[in-house]
Amino acid sequence: MLRFTPERQFLKASLFPLAGLLCLLATILGASASYGESTEAATPVSFLNEIMPRLTKAGCNAGACHSKPEGQNNFKLSVFGYDPQLDFNEIVNDARGRRVFFAAPEESLLLQKATGKLPHEGGSRFSEDSETYKTVLNWLRQGAPFDGPEVPRLSGITVNPGQVVLEPGASASLKVTASFSDGSTRDVTAMTLYASNDKDLVSVGETGELQAGKNRGEAVVVANYMGAVAVVRPVIPPHKRLSDADFKAAPVQNEADRFIYKRLEGLGILPSGLCSDAEFLRRSTLDCIGRLPTVEEATAFLADASPHKRSQWIGKILADPNYADHWAVKWGDLIRPNPVRVGVKPVYLLDLWLRDAFRQNLPYDVMVRELLTAQGSSHKSGPVAVIRDKREPVDASGFVSQIFLGVRMECAKCHHHPSEKWTQEDYFQLAAFFGKLRSRGQGISAPISGEAEIWWYDASGKGVTHPISEAVMVPKVPDGPEIPYVEGVDPRKQLVEWMVRPENPFFARAIVNRIWNEFLGKGIVDPVDDFRASNPPSNPELLDWLAADLTAHHYDLKHLMRTIMETAAYQRSSLPHPSNTADQRNFARSLRKRLPAEVLLDAVGDLTGSREAFGGLPPGARAVHTWNHRMGSDFMDAFGRPNASLECPCERERKPTVVQSLHLMNSPALQTKLAAPKGRVAGWVASAKPLEETVKEIYLAAYARYPDPSETQAAVAHLGREGASRNESMQDLVWALVNTAEFVFNH
Amino acid sequence: MEPSFNCNGIGRRNFLQLGFGALGGLGFTELLQRRAEAAKAKGTSTSNVNCILIWLDGGPSHYETFDPKPDAPADIRGEFKSIPTAIPGVHFSEILPTLAKIADKFAVVRSICHKDPNHGGGNHYLMTGAPTPVPVGCGAFVSYHPSFGSMVSHERGVRNGLPAYVSLPSMARSGGPNFLGAQHSPFVISGDPNQTGFRVRDVTLPADISEGRASSRNALLSSLDRMQRIQEAAAEDPLVGFDQSYKQGFNLLASQPAQAAFDLSKEPEAIRKLYGETDFGQRLLLARRLAEVGVSFTVAYWGGWDNHRTLFKTYREGFGQKLDQGLSGLIIDLEQRGMLDSTLVVCLGEFGRTPKVNKDAGRDHWPGAMSVFMAGAGIPKGAIIGATDPKGYYASENIYTPEDFAVSLYSKLGVDPHQTLHTNSGRPVQLVNGGRQIKELFV
Repeated sequence: MLRFTPERQFLKASLFPLAGLLCLLATILGASASYGESTEAATPVSFLNEIMPRLTKAGCNAGACHSKPEGQNNFKLSVFGYDPQLDFNEIVNDARGRRVFFAAPEESLLLQKATGKLPHEGGSRFSEDSETYKTVLNWLRQGAPFDGPEVPRLSGITVNPGQVVLEPGASASLKVTASFSDGSTRDVTAMTLYASNDKDLVSVGETGELQAGKNRGEAVVVANYMGAVAVVRPVIPPHKRLSDADFKAAPVQNEADRFIYKRLEGLGILPSGLCSDAEFLRRSTLDCIGRLPTVEEATAFLADASPHKRSQWIGKILADPNYADHWAVKWGDLIRPNPVRVGVKPVYLLDLWLRDAFRQNLPYDVMVRELLTAQGSSHKSGPVAVIRDKREPVDASGFVSQIFLGVRMECAKCHHHPSEKWTQEDYFQLAAFFGKLRSRGQGISAPISGEAEIWWYDASGKGVTHPISEAVMVPKVPDGPEIPYVEGVDPRKQLVEWMVRPENPFFARAIVNRIWNEFLGKGIVDPVDDFRASNPPSNPELLDWLAADLTAHHYDLKHLMRTIMETAAYQRSSLPHPSNTADQRNFARSLRKRLPAEVLLDAVGDLTGSREAFGGLPPGARAVHTWNHRMGSDFMDAFGRPNASLECPCERERKPTVVQSLHLMNSPALQTKLAAPKGRVAGWVASAKPLEETVKEIYLAAYARYPDPSETQAAVAHLGREGASRNESMQDLVWALVNTAEFVFNH
Repeated sequence: MEPSFNCNGIGRRNFLQLGFGALGGLGFTELLQRRAEAAKAKGTSTSNVNCILIWLDGGPSHYETFDPKPDAPADIRGEFKSIPTAIPGVHFSEILPTLAKIADKFAVVRSICHKDPNHGGGNHYLMTGAPTPVPVGCGAFVSYHPSFGSMVSHERGVRNGLPAYVSLPSMARSGGPNFLGAQHSPFVISGDPNQTGFRVRDVTLPADISEGRASSRNALLSSLDRMQRIQEAAAEDPLVGFDQSYKQGFNLLASQPAQAAFDLSKEPEAIRKLYGETDFGQRLLLARRLAEVGVSFTVAYWGGWDNHRTLFKTYREGFGQKLDQGLSGLIIDLEQRGMLDSTLVVCLGEFGRTPKVNKDAGRDHWPGAMSVFMAGAGIPKGAIIGATDPKGYYASENIYTPEDFAVSLYSKLGVDPHQTLHTNSGRPVQLVNGGRQIKELFV
């Protein structure tokens, strides 16, 4: 098995002048190649370094072709060539060697099919005059050998130029150099796979040609050569350079703002202005504690003349009892097992534990330690539900990396990660931390799994073996050292010790990015659980600073949330400035977010003073109190709470759908709430206050703001219509507000 | 997370997927073009064939429905007699007399089988075409792969403002969308359409809201919804999509044919009776009305077919007649209306039942044989496809897999069964892993 250790290359955005770029190019063009350039029969052709990359480049082992689980037409290759030995056997020996024909190598099925001379569903992958054809032919002529130990192995790649600055419409070429275990290097530009994250901005051709479009900005181009990955971030600099003076008026609340302005300056983007007090109040309350501000809260806040009132408000909501429920719901999406699988009681206990953890504001490192090192009975300890669910070490590995490290290693369970450096060894060595667990009890017996199961650390646990080599895995953290088993020490504890160290490159960054995403509507790394060289953060300094600040404050999540909510970035208007209209990555304006299912349902409940009844919860329970997605609710199903049968972690769909609009417009349940005899609408109908006052109160309740005069006028006119009952008119007014974008969205 | 779309409609998440695909050898540009073409095709799939899938959860007995074994020993044959059908030489169980009479209007596949004897696994296999990757327990409600209905929704999108995928009166165990996203979950219409006062929720006005009141509400809404929309496409303002979804909703409410479809009371008494005045029968009638106005995929879910005990009593005292009348009513009605060619009707459960009647006069789980009812959409009329051995233990002629069933179902609905989808992490997944058309269904 090959082990690649390419350097992770976070190449920073830079406005490096073109001249410098040319110099760099010149240097690389002079780089030497020490072996393997020749295709003459005398030089042995390396299967690993010549054949595999070319077949990969030709797409033979792409996910939809011969590397499908069942192969294609009985010819099965490993995904992106993660298992060269298997591929070699498949090509040379499988099917009684029918794919290669040494007597007349040109007639080999391998070449006949790939050139389309024989019918091939994948069409012609390379032509007879291509380098690839010649190389493969040469290799066949040499008897199709597998590489001996003397053949140097790939150790990594570099891409040059590392910094690319382009003008719109301009082009440049990338050059990819592979280095090998014998210290030699080689130009592999033609055998590398490329992808751009924004081909409108900068597209990349088959052999590494960059082509800038007509817009300006920064793209990410990924080069992948046999699993070794490098990244270039071509920049098309702003037309008009901004200066510090342009940001003079932009408020700085803390360091985070400085990093954001620095980035915006480089991109030529100006931030939008700050949002109104009412917008801030509603936004922060919904984001932080998942409910609407009350009429009293809104009235007091809007009247408050203190310059520190936003900061004071942040302190107040962080102490609100709804805080714990709101964040427990979010974490439920990430870690809650399917109750039908692990049993209702364990899931319920886990939910209680989560709510309690947020109620106590457990430091995040403590929380994760409790969760990942849980032992005992599934019917006594909530966190045991997680290990009961991820009962195989290989399942725990994918879970831990994605949720707590922000790295999707799941791919590496079966094959080398296609665009990253993670190997199967990485995956199974991480799994090995969970290899010393034992359990006793009935285990999983869906749908009830009613019996308790006891889990505990046992030094005699069977460990984890590699699926191909069958070697027993030594625990090793991703991108870090091996941590061998120590008799009497639960290896999970060692894993968590490594995770929570301040210098850990993943742990704090992953959580600050998640929380940032919850508030700003976009992660600094996006998607939030997909940290990798080929998906770099939009603002690395910002991410690093937030992570360092969190560890310096002992993983206090409330501190982190306060920091985020205090930034000018969080407090900006959602209306764009002409220079930031097209940008969603750099926090120049506030992004509008549809309220999550639970929050929206509770907002409707609060506004109407009438709640849904959930089976298994006491009357009056809020939607944020539901502790699994099997608790029936058409409303929450429509608004995208995860399907209860889905294997989580779950990312929620926030796209508006017609099912949602129909539900808000027509659901009998909403009509029942509007018409509830003891509800709030009935109270407004019965109120002796002038209509203007009632309208004011309804606006404060729904939007946390006062109506403007024309709104008051329209609403009062509606309520005072002749021939319509006040009761119905009042219901209709509230119905209308519930159906507005201003209600459904956080903005 | 908000899926964000850049100018040419490729979302960031799509990029990630494309990124992996691109690494797989296709040029990135080429892939983008393909994806763009695919996107263009979305929602405009030309197939007009809609599907009504009747799910008998628990696993109906093949012996007591479409594959009786009158010559088997009594402990296998069971309590029921077999009766001749409209197809000479073909017999059904005596509890399906009406279906026997119209056996020349549909097909039965007697030779689909698999190896998962658990409800959870069997449900998943026959509702998605994919076996569960790990064994799952009997009571499991699992989703590892998109269900047929979710995939059709994904492929066709909203038509006439109607949800593409509807499930009555609840979702089937593995009827979810998995990685296709929650917007492809079924729209669940609960309640019993056989009860007076039954209304289809959400797509019609609530009972106490008159049309006049609704239109005054809408006028008020448009005068009060004042939040500024950001019109530039590059801003990716989610409010634009929000407005579109309301527009679709209003159109649906304003559509006379669609509104009429939801109102079962508009159906002539004779037709209501044809389906049987039962919850199941009226659900099938509602399903037909939904298909009529363009709902692409409707599941009529009926649980309780896991008859380990008193199977014969249960079938005799209700199940048999309800199924016989409902299903035959649906086929007869569709044919009378000229809708049979454009409606695929499928009726099945997750497996058949054990040959030997157990001590409790029931039968247990048996994936070695099952009968799948199929009609419409060009399914040959009167075809009995495949066979089980003389005692009904195993499919023995022209044996087919659930994958073959899935390929056939998707083909009938104009969905390419061999396409590659991408999970949220970018992993390529075959919609159906292998499989071939059940050729007898395509003659």
